[in-house]
Amino acid sequence: MKNPFRKDLVSRSRPEACTVVIFGATGDLTHRKLVPALYNLQVEGALPAGVKIIGFARRDKSDEEFRSGLEELNKKVSRSGHDDKVWADFEQNIHYHQSEFQDQEGYDRLAERLDEIDRERGGKGNRLFYIASAPSFFDDVLEHLKKAGLSESEDSCWSRVIVEKPFGTDLPTAQHLNQVVNRTFNEKDTYRIDHYLGKETAQNIMVLRFANAIFEPLWNNNYIDHVQITCAENLGMEGGRGGYYDKAGALRDMVQNHLLQLLSLVAMEPPTDLSADGVRDEKVKVLRSMRQWDTPELVAENVVRGQYIAGHVDGEKVVGYREEDRVDPESMTESYVALKIMIDTWRWSEVPFYVRMGKQLPKKATEISIHFKEPPTVLFNALAGGVPGGNVLVIRIQPDEGISLRMVSKIPGANLRLEPVKMDFHYATSFGKGSPEAYERLLLDSMAGDATLFARRDEVEEAWKFIDHIENAWHESKNPPEMAEFVAGSWGPKEADELLAKSGHKWRRL
Amino acid sequence: MTETTQDEYARALGKEVAIGSVDKELRQLWEEDKASTNASLVNLAVYSEAEGAILRNSEIVQAITREHACRAILIGIDRDAPEASIRAWITAHCHLSQQGSKSVCCEQLAFQLTGKATGRLRNTVFAHLNSDLPLVFWWQGELSPIFSERLYSLIDRFVFDSSEWSQPLESFQKINQVMEESDELYPLDLEWTRSYPMRLALAGLFDDPLAAQALEHFNQIRIVVHPDHAMAGLQILAWLVDSTGWQRSQELGLCGETSPESSQGYCFHFETNEGSNVTATVECDASSAQIGLVELSGADCTVRVLRNAGSSYQHQQLEAGDHQIDQLMPAASTDACELVADQLSRGGKNTLYRTMMPLFLDLLACQGG
Repeated sequence: MKNPFRKDLVSRSRPEACTVVIFGATGDLTHRKLVPALYNLQVEGALPAGVKIIGFARRDKSDEEFRSGLEELNKKVSRSGHDDKVWADFEQNIHYHQSEFQDQEGYDRLAERLDEIDRERGGKGNRLFYIASAPSFFDDVLEHLKKAGLSESEDSCWSRVIVEKPFGTDLPTAQHLNQVVNRTFNEKDTYRIDHYLGKETAQNIMVLRFANAIFEPLWNNNYIDHVQITCAENLGMEGGRGGYYDKAGALRDMVQNHLLQLLSLVAMEPPTDLSADGVRDEKVKVLRSMRQWDTPELVAENVVRGQYIAGHVDGEKVVGYREEDRVDPESMTESYVALKIMIDTWRWSEVPFYVRMGKQLPKKATEISIHFKEPPTVLFNALAGGVPGGNVLVIRIQPDEGISLRMVSKIPGANLRLEPVKMDFHYATSFGKGSPEAYERLLLDSMAGDATLFARRDEVEEAWKFIDHIENAWHESKNPPEMAEFVAGSWGPKEADELLAKSGHKWRRL
Repeated sequence: MTETTQDEYARALGKEVAIGSVDKELRQLWEEDKASTNASLVNLAVYSEAEGAILRNSEIVQAITREHACRAILIGIDRDAPEASIRAWITAHCHLSQQGSKSVCCEQLAFQLTGKATGRLRNTVFAHLNSDLPLVFWWQGELSPIFSERLYSLIDRFVFDSSEWSQPLESFQKINQVMEESDELYPLDLEWTRSYPMRLALAGLFDDPLAAQALEHFNQIRIVVHPDHAMAGLQILAWLVDSTGWQRSQELGLCGETSPESSQGYCFHFETNEGSNVTATVECDASSAQIGLVELSGADCTVRVLRNAGSSYQHQQLEAGDHQIDQLMPAASTDACELVADQLSRGGKNTLYRTMMPLFLDLLACQGG
């Protein structure tokens, strides 16, 4: 039944009362991100009344112990601050459910508990299952949910699942996982989360492109020379993350999901509407159009992998990648990757997209820069110093969210000399208020049934197809391309600079 | 103006400048301070005819600019003064950015006018708007003859607080007339903003299927407000009825009697879409919070949002047989400065306000304005 009071009250999709079951409830993601996000939504009145949260995990805990652990962290990380009274009320709706992930009986008990909650709530059985457990348990959780009858919903109710990354480790595992997910849940009820897409600036890419008449006409190979997408991190393998990272690497950990998602937003055609499938149809076309680097030679020519050696970051001495905790001393896992991606569509013909991601770089920054072609220099080519680089539009995703545009200007004075100047827009200084956490937006969207900011099955598989060719060339070919080295705290190996130099380009200095 | 007041003006409003050199002085202000970033998303004009308001408004603007980058223009007018005069001051309100790395500043221009001022307000004051940015005009107090077509045709968003009006029916009719004439001007009534958390909480409760099922079977709406906020009570009622599509009762007529619950309240009659009668009361109670209670009941179901006077929380409550919800949520501040900040952050076209206005005007007229 439609709620007439929601109409026009808020401009976003309407969420319905539901029970959120989080698998992996004792983990960091639940404590640092998911529950604080739900709490913030409650504080802002965005959460529908009657939402229940059930944490599902293996450890033995009481409701009180579980709640107190969540509260402790919420005090530290909540964006909206921590109000004891509101928390006391909020936590009444949080419960703990102890079970092994492989234990069917635990899921049967969960089903009974959910039925009980639904009866109390008046028969509305909306359920949102959030699989935040280790990826090795994804299959178990999904299969057991189905056996317990929890993946199906009655008419007018829904049962949805959010699957955290990594969504597979290569194409076959992603396909397998997709098969398992689709055996248990409808594709329309499956939400593959990529928290990058919940960030304000990522969402703003479509607005920037399609709501500003000055950009869309220029957004093609007539005017754009190349595009760079950079994700730089100034951390290494602190906190024991070397164990996971050494199995994944930069390409699988970041490029396959976050960076290719950003690339598809930048390169997509205008969708016919803003529906989830309208947008995702266009994104997947981009992924399908990426030229495949499917031989070791093509990979060697278009992809650079690297590892950092000891150096200095933020004035601190840091060890090399192979000396990091829980990293194999002979590891051939890349902590840095740079790629040249060609999108074979009418719009992007011959426009390279350069993507790079690295650990232990000089600073933390994620941004997309659109480099426009330079105008013919007929008028100014005789000037001393020539014409400085052309227009660059930069979309900063983090940490300083904003947009800037570089243009060429005349230096004041009698002489005609040209220099670049920058127009800058910062979210933080213009809008003041901090942006909501990506998870807040994404949790609310999934409750409201809006999958626009979640990856669809075909998107994930297309991205893996592209990535797998590169991984195979690195790890399975007889003639694998070299592993480049760079000093920690620098902007990556010289091979990455050469990758761009071959086409007359260079990395933007961040 | 006394000497002390002169000092107060200088302290609050910054450097006094000649009208003709406001732009030049502003440029100098920025050239002198290289560490600051000048940011602006809107022009925010704050208008008052009350004595000394311009000083208070400078403090309010300082708080607003923490979250909303704008060019602020304070306007104080003494229309009864015999002589026409105009003075101007400039300053900047600076705050550390979220990262704390740099100071973000918003310009403030203050104009004090005396005597007949409509032309000078439009021609002199508005000559100092930041180009291409929308003009949000916050009118404080009663609407005066200065609020005319030649003024509001320049405004994008018109902020006012109807709880301040002594003759609300007359002023609302003026606002309504403006809204009918122009789709371009968005009225932002702070009294309406004040009721937003209540409306949001109530809407949240109707996500519950039992509440939704009971909607057509309710026969009682009860709204309790503080006597100073009767407008909010009527607006909430107009919104509730308008959202459901209920009609005014043909049999009983819209205008009812004084509420039996309170000698200061009023009673109205509606019919649900299934033809049941609904009695709605708006009660004014001096011991209530500004908006103390919104309750719908009938058919074994009660949906209620309540806030106690002095409390910074509001309760969402649902009682439907064994099924009960009682949730606490922070109630938004009703401070004028925060209400304006809230309006600035929301954007949009305020369509609900336009939609509920016809019924609200009828309710107001029934109540005697």
